[in-house]
Amino acid sequence: MKAKTFGIAFLVLILLSLAIFLQVLIRTEKKAAINELYGRGDHLVSLLSLHSIRDFEGARRDLLIKTLMQSDFHKGIVYCFIHDQSGRSIVSLSLNQSTAEVPYNIQANSLAAMGLVHQFFKHIESDINIYEFAKPIYEKGEKTGTVRVGFKLPPISILSAERITLIGIISFFIIAAIVLSYYGFVRAFKPLENFLTGIVGSSNHSRTSLKNSSGSFGIEPMMQECKNSIIELKGRLDEVDTKNKDLACRLGIMRFEKNQSSHILNSINLGIIVTDNHENVGFINDYMLNLLKKKRADVVDSPLDQVIRDEKLLALISQQQGFKNPVANHLFDIALPDLAPDNTYQISYAYLADDNKAQIGKLIVFNNTTREKEAAQAINDFTAHAAHELLTPLTTIKSYSELLMDGEIIDTATQKEFYNIINNETDRLSRLIKDLLNLSRIEMGSLSLNLGRVKSDWLFEDCIEAVAGAAAQKNISILKRLPDNFPTLTGDKELLKGAIINILGNAIKYTPENGQVEFELSEDDGMVAFDIRDTGYGISSEDLARIFDKFYRSGNPNITSQQGTGLGLAITSQIINLHGGEIKVESKIDKGTHFTVKIPKKEDYLGDK
Amino acid sequence: MATNKKILIIDDEAYIRRVLELKLKNKGYEVLTASDGEEGFALIESRQPDVVVSDIMLPKLDGRALCERTIPIKEKRPFLTIVVTARINPDERDWIAQMPETIFMEKPFSPKKILDAIEKYLEDLK
Repeated sequence: MKAKTFGIAFLVLILLSLAIFLQVLIRTEKKAAINELYGRGDHLVSLLSLHSIRDFEGARRDLLIKTLMQSDFHKGIVYCFIHDQSGRSIVSLSLNQSTAEVPYNIQANSLAAMGLVHQFFKHIESDINIYEFAKPIYEKGEKTGTVRVGFKLPPISILSAERITLIGIISFFIIAAIVLSYYGFVRAFKPLENFLTGIVGSSNHSRTSLKNSSGSFGIEPMMQECKNSIIELKGRLDEVDTKNKDLACRLGIMRFEKNQSSHILNSINLGIIVTDNHENVGFINDYMLNLLKKKRADVVDSPLDQVIRDEKLLALISQQQGFKNPVANHLFDIALPDLAPDNTYQISYAYLADDNKAQIGKLIVFNNTTREKEAAQAINDFTAHAAHELLTPLTTIKSYSELLMDGEIIDTATQKEFYNIINNETDRLSRLIKDLLNLSRIEMGSLSLNLGRVKSDWLFEDCIEAVAGAAAQKNISILKRLPDNFPTLTGDKELLKGAIINILGNAIKYTPENGQVEFELSEDDGMVAFDIRDTGYGISSEDLARIFDKFYRSGNPNITSQQGTGLGLAITSQIINLHGGEIKVESKIDKGTHFTVKIPKKEDYLGDK
Repeated sequence: MATNKKILIIDDEAYIRRVLELKLKNKGYEVLTASDGEEGFALIESRQPDVVVSDIMLPKLDGRALCERTIPIKEKRPFLTIVVTARINPDERDWIAQMPETIFMEKPFSPKKILDAIEKYLEDLK
């Protein structure tokens, strides 16, 4: 329907254009004909006016008239009048017209003219436009007559063969242009129509509109359709915009979660490599990059055997690939001497599978187990030491009793000595077991401090009393240094006493006979200080670094000759630490040793218990 | 029973050195003693004992290092080493098995069993 209207409109437009074109053509033609008429008229009246008036009265009159009639008369000449000076008509040639039919004013103007005159009038009866040309005849400077010639315009023939050809060509081009434009227009709008049909989708209204418009393709319905479609499109765009925002939001969340996962994997204290099914590295975390001393860009998407160069490790990985179970986690321990010497890694190797349990890659996790290994080694060493220390007095007891039982010792003095040794070793064993239990309780955190106010002078005297016998045996004098006022501290008196006696006892044990031990009590900056100085064998700098280690005993014969479990100072330092105190030691070989134990007075400084 | 065989006892425990020395001297052996690994190794080189009884945990040079050091000496002049150890684990057992003419004795040992091992070795040499 629309297309039809559109077609008619175009046709009207074409006809209108054609009419205007013809009008313009006629006008142009008419103008040209008038111009030509003027030229011809001027020429004819000028020619006639050259003759003497007598020529039109005498013998040459017929010749002139005949010539005039033959040559020019048919070319639109309506009449030809030649008047003498008085206005009398000498020659009167006319086609169905007489002089009287020419309006009077025209005739009068022509007769009065002194030069060439053009005049125009409409013949009333025939409704023909007549152009009158008049010129006076001069003889010897005097006007002797007037020539008047009336012309009508010759019929304007716009439909000449040439013109028809021209018009035909022009029309062809116009029609061709119109047809091409029309089809071009239709073709140009066709995708739009399809597009509109597409985007309208489920909208019944728009669908109906489009169906209505399928018959014709008029501008107005099309504009309306466009408008509807634009509204529809805007709605769709809003919808898409909302969906985009939603998607952007989800993408943001996913990106955040992905980054979060990456951050977690990068912060974790494990090396992680994920490979795809083609053994190329898909993901590697910071820890692993650090271990391999490589950059992420050099590693990601590279084959695994180019990323890991350790042949032993690669061999183990390829050996693991023999296991077909897709989710099983295989563990193995390995040292990586090239990457991290002195470290042990536990490597777990697992297949990664998707929801359908199809293998999508592999996960290799590197866990540095050096500390665990060291801890296990420390426990092993401690157990070995403890066993050695416990079994040594047991061996002595067993050996001595065996010799006594077998009757190999006949001498009673030696027998008595042997019994003493067995007795001493039994005591040693008991001490050792007690020390071990105490140390174990301290280290396990299960030792509860029996806290109370401890008067430092009592503690001081108790310690001296405990070692006085041993000192007297070696004739070692104990020099006491005491403050004017005795501070009171908070702590476990028995444990503190044990700790200080251990140091004081060592001072006496490792000081030669007749030596001196100085025991000083003082108060300094909220701490109660016990200083124990001896004139003993001293401790080498090598031993000094290890005296608080469990079971450590110096190789110095002066030390090894004395009994000791190697646990005393370890326990002492732990007890002092539990009280929030500190222990320091300075020593010079053969000069003596100086221990300082400081215990805070305040309750705040106490340990957990 | 007089014998000219030399036995070296290496132990940082004086009581153990003494009881073994007494037990072996009673059987007529010449007994040498050392209280650490270095001293013991020096005596192996200088006094060429026929049997060495050594603790595994020793100051200065432990029993294990001492045994390894004596391998070239044993190639020229074999002697028995009895390693006395508090705790024998599979690793230690394997190590001892690789040492030439070396046996182990777990603590608390019996001096009588040490003597038996020494006598058996010396008897086998004859």
